[in-house]
Amino acid sequence: MRLGAGLQVFAALLWLPQAALIALVIGDLAGQGPAPEDVGLNAATAALAVAALGIVRALLDGYAGRLCFGRARAILSERRAKAAKALAARSPLDSGRPASGVAASILGEQGEAIVPYLSRYRPARLKALLVPLAIVLTVFPVSWAAAIVLLIAAPLIPVFMALIGWRAQAASEAQLAGLGDMNGFLLDRLRGLATIRAMGAVDATAKRLRQEAETLRARTMAVLRIAFLSSAVLELFAALGVAMVAVYIGFHLLGQLPFGAWGGRLSLGEGLFVLLLAPAFFEPLRDLSSIWHDRAAGEAALKALDDLSAIDLALLDADADDAEDSQREGARAPAPALRLENLSFAHAGAEQAAIEDFSLSVEAGEKIALFGPSGSGKSTLLALIAGLAPADGGRVLIAEQSLDETNAGSLRRQIAWIGQTPHIFAGDLMSNVTLRRPWIGRDTARRALAAAGLSHILAGRDGHLGEGGIGLSGGEALRVALARFTADPGNSLILADEPTAHLDSETAEDIADHLLAFAKGRTLIVATHDPLLAHRMDCIVYLPKSAMRAVA
Amino acid sequence: MKAAWHDLRPVLAVLLAERRPMLAAGAALAAVTVLAGVGLLGLSGWFITATAIAGLSTATALAFDVFAPAAAIRFLAIARTAGRYGERLTTHEATLSALAALREKLFRGWAPPGAARRLLERPARLLFRLTADIDALDSIYLRILVPFLAAFAAAAATGLVLAALNPWLGLSAFLWLALLGLIIPLRTAAAALAPGLRRAHLTEALRTRTIDLVAGQTELAMAARLTAERHAIARTDRRLVATDERLNRIETRASAAFGIAGALLLAGTLYVAARLAEANEIGAPAAALAILVVFAAAEPFAALKRGAVELGRTRLAARRLAPRLKTDPVAPARPPSMPPNRQAARLKSVDFRYPDAKRLCLSDISLTLTEGETLAVVGPSGAGKSTLLALLADEATPEAGEIAHSPSVLLTQRTELFQDTLAGNLQIANPDASEARLWRALEAAGLRADVEALPSALETRLGEGGLGLSGGQARRLSLARLFLRDTPLWLLDEPTEGLDGPTAREIMRRLKGQKRGRSLVISTHLRREAEIADRLVILEQGQIVAAPRRNEPGFEQALEALRPD
Repeated sequence: MRLGAGLQVFAALLWLPQAALIALVIGDLAGQGPAPEDVGLNAATAALAVAALGIVRALLDGYAGRLCFGRARAILSERRAKAAKALAARSPLDSGRPASGVAASILGEQGEAIVPYLSRYRPARLKALLVPLAIVLTVFPVSWAAAIVLLIAAPLIPVFMALIGWRAQAASEAQLAGLGDMNGFLLDRLRGLATIRAMGAVDATAKRLRQEAETLRARTMAVLRIAFLSSAVLELFAALGVAMVAVYIGFHLLGQLPFGAWGGRLSLGEGLFVLLLAPAFFEPLRDLSSIWHDRAAGEAALKALDDLSAIDLALLDADADDAEDSQREGARAPAPALRLENLSFAHAGAEQAAIEDFSLSVEAGEKIALFGPSGSGKSTLLALIAGLAPADGGRVLIAEQSLDETNAGSLRRQIAWIGQTPHIFAGDLMSNVTLRRPWIGRDTARRALAAAGLSHILAGRDGHLGEGGIGLSGGEALRVALARFTADPGNSLILADEPTAHLDSETAEDIADHLLAFAKGRTLIVATHDPLLAHRMDCIVYLPKSAMRAVA
Repeated sequence: MKAAWHDLRPVLAVLLAERRPMLAAGAALAAVTVLAGVGLLGLSGWFITATAIAGLSTATALAFDVFAPAAAIRFLAIARTAGRYGERLTTHEATLSALAALREKLFRGWAPPGAARRLLERPARLLFRLTADIDALDSIYLRILVPFLAAFAAAAATGLVLAALNPWLGLSAFLWLALLGLIIPLRTAAAALAPGLRRAHLTEALRTRTIDLVAGQTELAMAARLTAERHAIARTDRRLVATDERLNRIETRASAAFGIAGALLLAGTLYVAARLAEANEIGAPAAALAILVVFAAAEPFAALKRGAVELGRTRLAARRLAPRLKTDPVAPARPPSMPPNRQAARLKSVDFRYPDAKRLCLSDISLTLTEGETLAVVGPSGAGKSTLLALLADEATPEAGEIAHSPSVLLTQRTELFQDTLAGNLQIANPDASEARLWRALEAAGLRADVEALPSALETRLGEGGLGLSGGQARRLSLARLFLRDTPLWLLDEPTEGLDGPTAREIMRRLKGQKRGRSLVISTHLRREAEIADRLVILEQGQIVAAPRRNEPGFEQALEALRPD
């Protein structure tokens, strides 16, 4: 990155010899100053040299830009990987865990803002620091007066920009929240289109949408009027700086302003040289201001990615499957016994513990229901058994192994998980069952689908599913979850969280049948408030509404 | 080129229909700015050279009119600043205006029943894509049209100034700039098309994978696939790196091409001007003018590359949105034919099929609903319950058969609330309802006390999708909305799904209380919802298999088969 920025400064400074050559040629045409021949050039070779320098400058600048871009893009990749790692490790019971849509936005499009920031803003800042300085140092020995004109114009720019920028900042903070609203409003209304249509409010909503957008436009313009003023000030100083240099040199050459050139009189060549450098003096400042907003967006993106990389509560042994991914045999393990000893868990910031001093013993192959109303901690308990969060106290023993940071990953591999609203992954039905596990072949997956009563879907559609399982009913989504875990014979402990909630009675019964069939020879724990399902288990553990006590 | 035009034309038409004078003014100001910049440098060069020559002798020095050119230089400096400021304000205001109109038009484009259904079937990912597409469109004006006009104004001005000195020099400078301004952006756009599209797709893939990682985390952890998913994200990012690098290379190449072409033009003009001056065809001041004009003219061309690189993405966005921008006005909804007296709805041998579906979704449905009757449509999921309601709500048109019904309103299965005030959420149902009327509706829905307890009462703002209310409160709010619609037929799609027993039963009681002679059709699989019906309609695979009335054999039995809480 440093090399790239340095090369960009160097490329910008190549304009100095170019300008000198041009000034030399024109000075000669007017019969003033040293002729190009004096330095061993004629007009043609001077032109060639100008062209050559220009080409070198363009290529060098491009190369330096590529270097900076490559480095900045690599940093984006690093940050993305770091955030993804944190997202994977963050416990589902961590209340600060971001929603999937938010995480996707930050990791995706918002994160991209750091590339222009790192690749353009920093080199531009270096250029704005060094190039004007180099130009002033070059101009000074030729004409101190011109150098002073530039020196006066330049520092005034940041002062005015700061003054205006300060007001713009206040104004923009007040309405920035509104800027994203334009799309937000449209999306919000499109999501509720069914209701808007049902209520006959299409026209009114369209008008409202327009009106909101117009209000927002007015507010945005109020901010932009100030924000653009800051760049206008810069433009004004740049243009006036060039104009003043030109006018000063003109008057000087006429003899009306005879001072400023160390006692002598500037030649036309020298005058032109100074004039040609004047715009180049201001250019880096203009560049910097035009990418000023890259900085704000880039820093916001860096911060968002950093926040995403934070972990308050982690899964146990989140990196377990890092190493030996594909070497896993699907041998069926014997059903494990399960023992919970004095388990406690409190959600962050909650006054009351969700689970307190809870003990339970489940024999190998036993099927039990955790029965209780919502809020009784059933789901939390299942999450603790699966090692999805560390318990505050007590321990979980699966087949006499105490669940901890070192073995949670391998213990989880024996556990099947059927949640209340299973996530349907983007892709087709088959990949939703295999989850791209190398140890689960397509035939196994197909058999699991058939066993879960889904073969008609596989046959009937192209098998392609959208995000959120569009096209699948709630019952079908549960069958996918069943197939997903029945496909892996290595699962010997089944945890099911409210598997029959929100289903019609026929479907609920059918799902329960499938679940029990799969549970043959396995240990099953079902959290539910469905009495029909609970009564099909060997044993029911009743959980009171308040914090859990030892019951069994 | 032709294809690009074909893609962009519908969007351009909408943009231009709105604020045409302002859009034109923005482009004109951009041109003025560029011209003032060119003039400033050119005139300065001429001025210095002329003064230098005049300054050689005292007599010419005194005769030289310094004030007019000096004033002109200062004027151009100020004109350039004012022009730039005006340009930025005008172009942004015009763009925002045009995009506001575009959003309204898009919304209307999605509102017709067919389009609305397709939209709602789409996953959230595609809704997101929609906003990215709209954002991509401001590139058409801000990054393609305006810079092109400014660059060509610079080319034309340069050509004219140089032509005044020497016609051939003017013509060749103009042609050189104009060709550059066309060829480099076109080649850049062509090269960037494929990687640009690939980039759009990969960005979506990255998004989807991240959503899968976060929303599907538990499943992935249990299947030992968390790390694999993370690696998949990293892989997608690596592919993105490759396309990003490729696009950056293309952009850098375009920059370098403009830089080199500008340097060649500058060197060429320097050489030709020197030869012309040596031959005494032009004076040294004119030569200086020519060189500085050319120096300044190359600058606006650099702005062309960004629009060119983004053109592929812009076209993709335009192509996706164009179907919703068709200008033909939406045909006004055909008023439903009214059923005979004392009836609320009548269906005669109705068949319905979803577009592209092989089998009928509903077949041979005949049903009569008398005024004041409550009907519960029951049956396994997929039997066609919701479709039957959609037919009665005019959301779907039958393939065969006849439908007649009184004006109806549908309470959708999913509670849909908006990012708006509570009052705004209610007024969707009835924009003219007085505040007293809103309160009465809230009272009837059992939400009055809750709303009164809020500090801003009716003016309380809800978050996205009604965030800030509990499930029960949200459902009551949608119930209040229903109560504000004074139609004789209410269609309720699983009205208490997802609510706990006591809340659900209370909502059913309130519904019954507000019924007042209306007819109700309830689609349900819950006993508590079907209980209030006068008649059950049992659907199986799109056909009515039984329709027992209360007290008829089969009614209680069918009720029993439904799911308890």
